[in-house]
Amino acid sequence: AETFAQDVTWNVSLWGKRRAFTEHIEKLAELVDQKTDGGFKLNLSYGEALSKSRENLDGISIGAFEMAQFCASYHADKNPTLTVLELPFLGVPDLETQVALDKEIYSHPAVQKDLARWNAKLLMSSPMPQYNFVGKGDAPKSVSDFEGMRVRALGGVGKAMETIGAVPTTVTASETFQAIDSGTVRAASFAPHAHLAFKTVEAGSWWTTNLNPGTVNCPVVINQDAYAALPDNYKEALDSSVDEAIAHYLATYKKVYDKWYPTLDEMKIEQITFEQSEIDAFKEKAGKPLWDEWVKEMSAKGIPAQELLDMVQSKLN
Amino acid sequence: MNAGPASSEQPRTYIRFDGALGVIENLFNLIAAASILVLMLLAVVQVVGRTAFNWPVPGFIDITEQAMAVFAFGGIAYCQRVGDHIRMEIVLGQLKGRTLWIAEFVGVVLIWLVITGLVYGSWFHFQRSWLLGDSTIDIGLPTWPSKLVVPVALSLLWLRLVLQIYGYWRLVRNPDAEPIAVPVIHDVAETAKHEIEEAFGEDPAEFGRGEKA
Amino acid sequence: MTPFDIGLIMTGVLLVLVVIGMRVAFAAALVGMVGLIAIFSMRLGFEKGVITALKMAGTVPHSKSVTYSLSVLPTFILIGFLAFYAGFTRQLFEAAKRWLGWLPGGMAVGTVFATAGFAAVSGASVATAAVFSRVAIPEMLAVGYSKRLSSAVVAAGGTLASLIPPSAILVIYAILVEQSVAKLLIAGFLPGIFSAFIYVIIIIGMSAWRGDAPPVHGFTWGQRFASVPGTLPIVSVVAIIFGSLYYGIATPTEAGALGAFVVLVTAIVNGMRGRQLGQALHETAKLTVMIFTLIWGVLVYVRFLGFAGLPEAFKEFIVALEFSPWMTLVIILCAYAVLGMFIDAIGMLVLTLPVVYPAVMALNGGEFVSAADSSFGMSGELCAIWFGILVVKMAELCLITPPIGLNCFVVAGVRPDIPVQEVFRGCMPFFVADGLTIAGLVAFPAIVTWLPSVM
Ligand code: NA
Ligand code: NA
Repeated sequence: AETFAQDVTWNVSLWGKRRAFTEHIEKLAELVDQKTDGGFKLNLSYGEALSKSRENLDGISIGAFEMAQFCASYHADKNPTLTVLELPFLGVPDLETQVALDKEIYSHPAVQKDLARWNAKLLMSSPMPQYNFVGKGDAPKSVSDFEGMRVRALGGVGKAMETIGAVPTTVTASETFQAIDSGTVRAASFAPHAHLAFKTVEAGSWWTTNLNPGTVNCPVVINQDAYAALPDNYKEALDSSVDEAIAHYLATYKKVYDKWYPTLDEMKIEQITFEQSEIDAFKEKAGKPLWDEWVKEMSAKGIPAQELLDMVQSKLN
Repeated sequence: MNAGPASSEQPRTYIRFDGALGVIENLFNLIAAASILVLMLLAVVQVVGRTAFNWPVPGFIDITEQAMAVFAFGGIAYCQRVGDHIRMEIVLGQLKGRTLWIAEFVGVVLIWLVITGLVYGSWFHFQRSWLLGDSTIDIGLPTWPSKLVVPVALSLLWLRLVLQIYGYWRLVRNPDAEPIAVPVIHDVAETAKHEIEEAFGEDPAEFGRGEKA
Repeated sequence: MTPFDIGLIMTGVLLVLVVIGMRVAFAAALVGMVGLIAIFSMRLGFEKGVITALKMAGTVPHSKSVTYSLSVLPTFILIGFLAFYAGFTRQLFEAAKRWLGWLPGGMAVGTVFATAGFAAVSGASVATAAVFSRVAIPEMLAVGYSKRLSSAVVAAGGTLASLIPPSAILVIYAILVEQSVAKLLIAGFLPGIFSAFIYVIIIIGMSAWRGDAPPVHGFTWGQRFASVPGTLPIVSVVAIIFGSLYYGIATPTEAGALGAFVVLVTAIVNGMRGRQLGQALHETAKLTVMIFTLIWGVLVYVRFLGFAGLPEAFKEFIVALEFSPWMTLVIILCAYAVLGMFIDAIGMLVLTLPVVYPAVMALNGGEFVSAADSSFGMSGELCAIWFGILVVKMAELCLITPPIGLNCFVVAGVRPDIPVQEVFRGCMPFFVADGLTIAGLVAFPAIVTWLPSVM
């Protein structure tokens, strides 16, 4: 039908409300609309109205909507190649670097092939800073103080924390505030915007500034067939808007930080900075060994794991 | 139950099919019931383990979620057999004879249609997790076994609906025949009587045939 | 035709299907599926549209059922079915009688608390009415209470089940509107007690005026305290669930499981056999699958509404109405009272909330509004909780109103000497009491919102 129809509307499946984490998609919709004189519209649906977040790749594969955001750690087996970006202690210094790194990995043929199984094409990333901990009670003075501590940490971060004796405990994001407040867990790891959204700062008394155990990778993907069916000028409008959308995202995320540190002060949250030697020791235990394990596991699945990991490291050094 | 006079008018194949299906439905419901007990005990272990020994059940939420498919779907065909999926009976309750059986017949055909669609759709949902891979967020359990429960349970419901379509069709053709293996409507007073019996256990709903028919 | 038009038409079709008696879960799923087919066919052509729609609809049952917060439901339901075998009823009534019998209408007052307490834990309002008809009515008649009052109080007391935790219906509300299950359960506690007290005031007032329910004297303090241990299991279940949620020690599922475990142990101590445990589990499984089917069936329809953009449009319609927000809210609540006379409470909630809830939130000024900027003087989150309690109270009301107030039929059924009209007539004052309760909760929302806001 699209061959003769000028107007194209894409449905975009998102979860939660509009926030820093979705601002690049909002910007993308605005830019595409402008560049095509309203001919190509992105219709953003928040709050899992079109699909549960964990099933966004299914929806893309079915062709129920044309664009969606998801996080690799929600379902590692759906996107094994992307989990390279969630390994602990990769040492990504800032969001700009994360964007460049994601772009590089997203363009690797093995990664593209992985997502193509879902009829998905990677469009752009939603870079997030390191997941640090907000916790309650006695602040850890050294990394070893995490021994025996019940923490909420998922995926690679959880695995890393296990190596220093912490006890990862399952708590849903929305229950985290209660869980910290009541002592079900002592600490929880999120990116700052999520610590604010889930109010952990209201329950906690300390924050780890430099534990930096890792992050979560959340790309925006589009349906391959829908992309192929776009008129050339619409394709061009979409592709050419990505960089500006990401720039807008980074600017917005800076504002989260502008709010973050004042909030920590306001809530009288102690900022814990560990000795570099301690961080190095943690990385020694949780970095390389977990990377090796990942390479072994992924290689067994026929994924060029070492190549992907090398690519990540060359980008960072 | 349903032991009518053994006349040649009794649809024997239908009754035998109903009985065989009933055995499977009871088994599914039994498994669902058992899974609820296991979930309860696991949750108790989780609380006690966490508070007393600092040993939470690893991936408790993941395990619970995946196991939920068993009790969320296991008894679905059984529930249709005994007519317990809720509906509004105020209009239906006014109908009598053939009109009533036609309404019931159409209702069951519509349910059969939607379940046919859902068996198809939920099969593909399972198939994607099987072929392309999918795992849970915390401890990486594969999700396909849980997703497979849905099309299997819905298929059993599908068979039950086929049977009920025949059951109501039989009554449409001969409204005076004895209703066999189909739920029949009670008015409020009868429903109240049924509730009372259940509360006092005078008519213990056995694991076997619990039809209101 | 736009997706919005399709949304409107299919919603009309759904109403018709439900009214003429199609099973609600499947009617909603059917309408959702057909609606998705229509929408995708417009975008992708018929054949591809059908396949896409079926695959989309087919993701919903598993995806929406397999949600941790829903796992609390079977634990609450299990508590209910085990409560009968744990033998709570007579001991509870006995204690209530000894402590409260001296009041005017004291036996009826005691019955309110005993039925409310038992119903709260069992969650089964109708079954409570059946059991207490046997336990309480003969004793009340024996000391000279009128048939009308003694039967009505049993029918009405059971309706307090849904507000006091554990409450499956509040869990369902919380999940449908995506609010904290724990907060909703905590929020129901005070309104439940408040509601019981309004009943008590009405009973005392009526009894003192009419003199048809004489006080019962003569229990010693020793006898009173001797009756306390019998109430412990029920008090401990409410306390475990309320306490562990209020202090955040356990998730609702864990709290429900602990409660069920306590009732199970009590029931075994009180002589429950394996066969009865099997029966309780069997009934639990049946009710659980019924509720889950209802939830995912309606969520197939909701998924279609999401693609059609209907809730958004209804929200705009409600907000644009000429009435004040308060007036609109009252109209919505009255509509629920009428609807509740014809359809089961859970069915009513799941059918209407997807469209009505966003509209009510918009009336208040949106989901993230602050108390200062809102129409009803409370934040979005608290408004969601408050509305939930109001709606559930409306739904409960309908168990004692004609034409199909099931509780009244059950009481009349247990007592063939009491005609059902007599029970309905006796329930009139309680109906008025419920009206006062709802007015109280609307006028003083703090009764609902205070506990969840200090959690
Ligand atoms: Na309750
Ligand atoms: Na009613």
